[in-house]
Amino acid sequence: MKRIIAALLLIATTSLHAEQKTPPPPAAPRVTEWPKITERKLDNGLTVVLVPLHNVPKVTALLTFMSGNGSVAQLAARVATEGTTTRTSRQLREALRAIGGSIGVTTDADATTFSSEALSEFAPRLFELLADSARHPAFPKSEVELAKTNLAQEIAEQRSSPDFLVDERMRKALFGAHPYSFVTAEPDAIAKLTREQLQAFAATRYVPNDAHLIVVGDIDVERSFAEVKKAFGDWAKVARVADAQPAFAKRDRRQIYFVDRPDSVQSTIRIAAIAPPRKSADYLPLRIASTILGGSFYSRLNRNIREAKGYSYSPYSLAQLQRRAGAVFVEAAVRNEVTGPTILELLYELDRMRVDAVTDEELTSAKRYSIGSTQVELETQAGLANRIATIYTNDLPHEFLETFRGNVEKITAADVRKVAAKYFDTYRGAIVIVGDWSKVKEQVEPFGDVTVLK
Amino acid sequence: MKRIAITIATLLLSVAAYAVEIPVTYYRLPNGLKVVISESRVAPVATVAVYYGVGFRIEPKGRTGFAHLFEHMMFQGSANVKKVEHAKFIEAAGGQLNGSTRLDLTNYYETLPAESVETALWLEADRMRSLDVSEDNLKNQQNVVSEEVRDAVLNQPYALFEWLDLWQNANTNWYNAHNFYGDLSEISNAKLQDVRDFFRTYYAPNNAVLVVTGDVDVAATRAQIEKYFGDIPLQSVPERPDISEGAQEEEKRIKQTDPLASVPALAFGYHLPDQESADFAPMVLLNLVLQGDEGSRFYQRLVKEKAISIDWNGGINFELGNEFDYDGPMLLATRTLYKPGHNAADILKEVDAITKDVAEKGVTAKELADAKVRFRANWYDQLETSFGRANLLASFALFHDDPARINKVLEMYEGVTAAQLQAAAKKYLVAQNRTSIDRVPAEVAK
Repeated sequence: MKRIIAALLLIATTSLHAEQKTPPPPAAPRVTEWPKITERKLDNGLTVVLVPLHNVPKVTALLTFMSGNGSVAQLAARVATEGTTTRTSRQLREALRAIGGSIGVTTDADATTFSSEALSEFAPRLFELLADSARHPAFPKSEVELAKTNLAQEIAEQRSSPDFLVDERMRKALFGAHPYSFVTAEPDAIAKLTREQLQAFAATRYVPNDAHLIVVGDIDVERSFAEVKKAFGDWAKVARVADAQPAFAKRDRRQIYFVDRPDSVQSTIRIAAIAPPRKSADYLPLRIASTILGGSFYSRLNRNIREAKGYSYSPYSLAQLQRRAGAVFVEAAVRNEVTGPTILELLYELDRMRVDAVTDEELTSAKRYSIGSTQVELETQAGLANRIATIYTNDLPHEFLETFRGNVEKITAADVRKVAAKYFDTYRGAIVIVGDWSKVKEQVEPFGDVTVLK
Repeated sequence: MKRIAITIATLLLSVAAYAVEIPVTYYRLPNGLKVVISESRVAPVATVAVYYGVGFRIEPKGRTGFAHLFEHMMFQGSANVKKVEHAKFIEAAGGQLNGSTRLDLTNYYETLPAESVETALWLEADRMRSLDVSEDNLKNQQNVVSEEVRDAVLNQPYALFEWLDLWQNANTNWYNAHNFYGDLSEISNAKLQDVRDFFRTYYAPNNAVLVVTGDVDVAATRAQIEKYFGDIPLQSVPERPDISEGAQEEEKRIKQTDPLASVPALAFGYHLPDQESADFAPMVLLNLVLQGDEGSRFYQRLVKEKAISIDWNGGINFELGNEFDYDGPMLLATRTLYKPGHNAADILKEVDAITKDVAEKGVTAKELADAKVRFRANWYDQLETSFGRANLLASFALFHDDPARINKVLEMYEGVTAAQLQAAAKKYLVAQNRTSIDRVPAEVAK
């Protein structure tokens, strides 16, 4: 009796779900309405971009200078918020906490960015504090010395992390003598830096010319513009120093570097090659290629190296394009025993992208995924501000956001293969592995001459 | 009398002026599944999230890491969805997906263009109804999870000691004191039957919350939920074991060496009062006074004035979530790197001086006001994304059967007084209630 009931239930359940063997197809994509972007230029050259996003009562402001990078830029960024000509470091921190705010300064290959946020009811105060930090950093001697000591320790700490080591070595391998190879200063170089160098750097790089301020949040455009003008309007123009732009070295062969980290229980493997500047027309097809290769969960690297072979938790690829050049890379952290097999699979998947066309299914999915990702960025003030910032730091067309979807939809499998063939060129790229050389040496050596770094 | 009335009126006004009202539609399906829908028109996206009322705290003894391994198995297939297809369908619809295992919950979520919500609902319903796993898939995910443990813990300096080791040392009840990421041997010992049992025991509609937040129509979403989740059978879910933690009787100071680190670090934690106790909100604000940002007392004293520490991070449910998304014993934790040449006692001495000062003199009116502003700013950060709202709504529904609490939190915190902070400091921020771990590079220790 019981069995019959169970059987009936099974049938009933089956018939109820007979039409549910596959998920309901996605509805037609909606048209994304991008928030209205207002751009104004102050007389001193500062570009001000204002974008209302009324999601929460907060405001985000990014102030970016095309400063270039290096030891001085790195230390200056760190000390810029440690006191101004009228506020001590502590006063600045206390002023920020009273408005639920923060200011953080970072550098990358192209720029120094002051990233700030606060409750929107205090927006004028945030602009005032942001302007004070960027315009009047005092670089107090005691703060410079403290930052130097702490930065040296932090670098030691970063260099104990395999992820940091692989990134640092790869940038050196790809960019050689070019300033793009800079990741962090050497501790002995930091020790020699002076307060005067930081002051000189700020005086010539933290200047309104060529700078942009992006404000996103719960704001009224006209009122915010007036507040911004009050904080930044009387900032004098300064003649810009043109940085030397050495050419990137031509790469003609594959190089393998092994960073020896005794006691590692994994090999962290990154394979990379030089990519074009962000402004290149190849950017979008390359982004799609990278999404298919390893930029999403349903990507080739994940399906092969994780879901079929179980070698790694999170193999992935990235097209990291900057103003003058970029890198495309694949990476996986794997247990020591499968180091060799993983290098083989990574190279195979890279070559497969160059040789074979991607499937229609992969292409359609990657396009929809890219379009969806930009829609998700609209949820946060910082996400939208950073997206807009890339337009300015890379000198992209202003209609980048509006045309993004149309431009992505146009991409064909042939376009993807073409950029893959051009840039997933590991024969002129580099392989960097961080791990325990004594344990995985035999697995790495078959791939070519290895430079081992202690 | 009149004066009190004015104070209350002013208070309501000041909070109301900045309040963000989150719409909450809350009900239960006949099978016990709690459902929360919250619409918002800011971005054309939505989040679908399913929160199950089981986390690593109550995973089976002898099977450390199992709750997390199981989370991975939920992506390995169900009756109508093959391995990897869950991701395939979501990404082809323009969405992102993930899952995570935490102390008292395991969540699965998709953030995607709002028109594709039905795809995510169908997929979540299919795996809630019919997990379909094989020996091969289990073996594969045991390898993947073992790599995750190596990647996140065993191959990293400090090895997440600020929560993995701190919890094991501060607590005495196994449920709070075991290795939450799991021993590799126990992860690889798990059997397919364990996976099936765990699914049948905990992954019941009546032990879960389904939340949909974002640019959706409530009535239409409700109908889809009814269609896909309505007939998943109710199951009997066991009572939660006793997870309570007895009062700590004396301070614990632990020393560890780290083969991969090059700079010493200290982690410490104080046992916190229950979330529903009157001391909890004061402790949340006290945390902000002490370590809420670089203007706070610990940072200013240890990093700036004394220059012993290099950095300072900490909080409630530190590195695992926030003060709302758990349900059980908890620590107020800190992690700091410090300069070679100093030691843990140097830091703890300063910490004790600061907490003693708060216990004796209390916090200033300005400190309290600033802590409330900081709390509000952090709170809005959580409300910004559809996932952030889903996380709070799911936690309030799962643990308190009251997702509408999301609209009462700010008002509740505005009402906390300096006297309450002082009393809480006296009670909880004492050495006897603290466990610390000093983690020194093996090279230095030699």
